[in-house]
Amino acid sequence: MITFEGVTKRYPDGTVALDDVSLECPTGRITVFVGTSGGGKTTALRTINRMVEPTGGRVLIDGGDVRERRPAELRRGIGYVIQHAGLFPHRTIEDNIATVPYLLRWNKKKARATAHELMERVGLDPSMARRYPFQLSGGQQQRVGVARALAADPPIMLMDEPFSAVDPVVRGELQDEFLRLQDELHKTIVFVTHDIDEAIKLGDRVAVFQTGGKLVQVDAPEDLLARPADDFVAGFIGHDRGIRRLSFVPASGAPLTERDVLAADAPVERAREAGDGWVLVVDGDRRPLGWAATGVLPSSGTVGDAALAPIGHTFTVESDSVRAALDAAILSPSGRAVGVDGDGRLVGVADQHDLTAAIATSGAGVAAEPADTPPAEPVKGGAGD
Amino acid sequence: MDIDWGWIGDHTGTLGDHAVIHIRLALLPVLFGLLISLPLGVLCRRWQWMFPPVLTVANILYAIPSLALYMVFVQYTGLTEATVMIPLTLYSLSVLVPNVVDGLGSVSEPVRQAATAMGFGPLRRLLQVELPIAVPIVIAGVRVAAVSSISLVAVGQLIGQGGLGYDILRGYQLTFQTQMVAASVLIVLLALVTDAVLVVVQRLLTPWARARGAS
Repeated sequence: MITFEGVTKRYPDGTVALDDVSLECPTGRITVFVGTSGGGKTTALRTINRMVEPTGGRVLIDGGDVRERRPAELRRGIGYVIQHAGLFPHRTIEDNIATVPYLLRWNKKKARATAHELMERVGLDPSMARRYPFQLSGGQQQRVGVARALAADPPIMLMDEPFSAVDPVVRGELQDEFLRLQDELHKTIVFVTHDIDEAIKLGDRVAVFQTGGKLVQVDAPEDLLARPADDFVAGFIGHDRGIRRLSFVPASGAPLTERDVLAADAPVERAREAGDGWVLVVDGDRRPLGWAATGVLPSSGTVGDAALAPIGHTFTVESDSVRAALDAAILSPSGRAVGVDGDGRLVGVADQHDLTAAIATSGAGVAAEPADTPPAEPVKGGAGD
Repeated sequence: MDIDWGWIGDHTGTLGDHAVIHIRLALLPVLFGLLISLPLGVLCRRWQWMFPPVLTVANILYAIPSLALYMVFVQYTGLTEATVMIPLTLYSLSVLVPNVVDGLGSVSEPVRQAATAMGFGPLRRLLQVELPIAVPIVIAGVRVAAVSSISLVAVGQLIGQGGLGYDILRGYQLTFQTQMVAASVLIVLLALVTDAVLVVVQRLLTPWARARGAS
């Protein structure tokens, strides 16, 4: 556990970068520092490995003051990843990754073997081991940066905007792989970002910093979205925080029906009886094929012969959130979302009203809102009207 | 222009000996200059206010005619090789110091920070990260210093230490064009070969810089 006790950093010119920050970063979890630029989040990160010395308060690692340890030795036990990877241009990929093992005087063979192992772990082809950083893409360099930070298996990792400099698609991939890696490694991670979406996606806990180095709120992402501490946090999260909170409401709570679902070999007459505008057509395996509009059915034959409108996307009832379900409903020609199981077989259909009901039951709507927050959008957003 | 090829054939040994002396007189000062410039450049990076005065002094030294410097040092070191090499060493500083400073400056901030954050102390960071990354720019300076030094050595013949400068002066005194031209061509060749060798050295030292055009 990393503990900040009233940490303050005031520069000689009077600028305050950190203002009495107290917080705990639990062992084995991801704590994200998020905030506007000048909010002191990077400064806070750097007090952990003594790249910044506080002018007040203490930083403790597992109860021990970091100032009791020599900076170079302390840092060799803390992985560090930065925005532009900061790879050493004059060293090969394997030697970049083995940097800290070399500093710790491991033998070369063991250090390189570790480097190759880590390359696979972070999704790099080990045949790249002898290349130089300039021969790699930005995303690949960032993977090397992560591997380098992991090389000596430090219990703590500090990550300063590690994915900000790559394009959004690669960023998404890196984030997903990072979460997968953390599931295996259980490091104590402090992650700095200015991107609230990244914070909510990655953080077990999110700490919001405000200009002037003030820590405004520390909470689990869903609590942060539900109960922003003040206007600053609410504004920082953005006006769609209600919708975003739905990411944390499981879709399994939504009532699903099988009304207006027909097999492809059912006669068209049955679809006409349904009379609700749209009929979902499934194959013999109950896999959804598409929506049939009851107004333009062929005069005879089966519903499978009808021109089917595409479903858009389905949602997986067991694992997806209400947000995904609602999105599926909005994109669906019938206004109804198609829920499937892990194998893609139909579980049931829900319209936007059904989903709204699920949101209300989960308590994700207005109920949790403290009375003193300004009248805001969560209700509207949450209901998806 | 009449070239006496027979004379050249008879004197390859002497010309060769002079060329060896010439290259020694030219390149040892560059080596000494580099040994002075590296710590000086590091200090100028560390305390940036030092750089302008240091550069100004180096440039003023470079502006003093070599003949005048020889006359000064000859009083202390006599008609020796040292009298030729000391001014050449001083001249090399005006190219080498700024290139060491620029080379160290070419280390990007993320790289510097990453090194610190991974537990490099200041000295280790300098030796294992910053200086290696500075090599391409430092060698670019060494190439300029070496070529200019090779051409300047000849003037040392005025105090009797000029390598191939001897043959230029001697050929002039005897109005013997062949000796003058042969020595001059050799000096140019020495400069070209030295430069080529330095390019190869840089490629071998910095395979990582090839695609960056940093040579």
